[in-house]
Amino acid sequence: MTAPLVLVVDDDPDIMEAIADILETEGYRVARARHGGEALARVAEERPALILLDLMMPVMDGPTFAAELRRQEGGDRIPVVVISADGNAERAERVRAQAFLAKPFDIDALLAQAARATGGPESAGASHP
Amino acid sequence: MKSSPCEARSSYLGFVAHEFRNPLATALWCAQLLGRLAPEERGGPRGLKLAAMAQRAMARVGRLLEDHFLVERLEVRGLPLRPEPLELGAAVRAAAGAAAVAGATVVVAAGELSVSADHGLLQRCLEALLAAAGKEGAAIQVEIGASAAGASVRVLGAPLPPEALERPAKGAPSDPTGRALGLFAARAAAEAMGATLAIDGGAALLCFPGDGGAP
Repeated sequence: MTAPLVLVVDDDPDIMEAIADILETEGYRVARARHGGEALARVAEERPALILLDLMMPVMDGPTFAAELRRQEGGDRIPVVVISADGNAERAERVRAQAFLAKPFDIDALLAQAARATGGPESAGASHP
Repeated sequence: MKSSPCEARSSYLGFVAHEFRNPLATALWCAQLLGRLAPEERGGPRGLKLAAMAQRAMARVGRLLEDHFLVERLEVRGLPLRPEPLELGAAVRAAAGAAAVAGATVVVAAGELSVSADHGLLQRCLEALLAAAGKEGAAIQVEIGASAAGASVRVLGAPLPPEALERPAKGAPSDPTGRALGLFAARAAAEAMGATLAIDGGAALLCFPGDGGAP
């Protein structure tokens, strides 16, 4: 059984490494992207069960990526949780995210969102049609 | 439409807050995770990795704090300045060590040059310029010269955009090394010393008025 894949989209390398550590230790598989353009490529390689999405990134920001994702077939069925240091939930609403986690959020809040979206690390890898 | 001073300041503070939140989050998470490890795991590979991540994050916070409050104190003229004769080549070499940019080549065009400046501010200014020039391992060259206008320090390395010295606003690029405010703080420090700091052809140019002096 393949663990669910979580795509983490954040331009901050320390944030990326910390979140990947949290999720991989919990048993998830983690894909990484430094901006929306890379995230679209990662989605094309393997559809994730959940996307953790930063908002302010170079090249392609979070809202632009979310709009592009929604244009793809099945893209609107991939749950997105916004993770942002912005502190302003208004931009997150444009993304139509499942949840908004304001950095520095609690680890358990992140894991709860991941479990809610994927069924937990023990569930089979997501296959969103 | 030009923003009001309050809007500009709010945007700047929003940017600063954003820059603080990422490394703070990293440090907090690492502390939480370390607390969840069994005692014997804390000294193991994962424990050491988490500790290193936390240290790196807090070093980043430290740099941001120093730059942010330097700017704030200079803006309210709350920093006592102590000008003294300082030899520019020695100051650049000391700053290169502090900025951890080994290998900066210092070229002095006209013998040793001294300026009258506050030692702390000059060091902060030069460290920021060297750190920016050495971004992503770029080779750095520093040219110190004298002219009728005064003494100058040109720092060449990674090219700087024309807006690099401006006060950052919300949406400005983040800096994972904690130096997002470095160049803005360097400009504030230069102006407090009576010098000018500008971007000239992608290089930083720090100019002290007067004849530059000689030791």
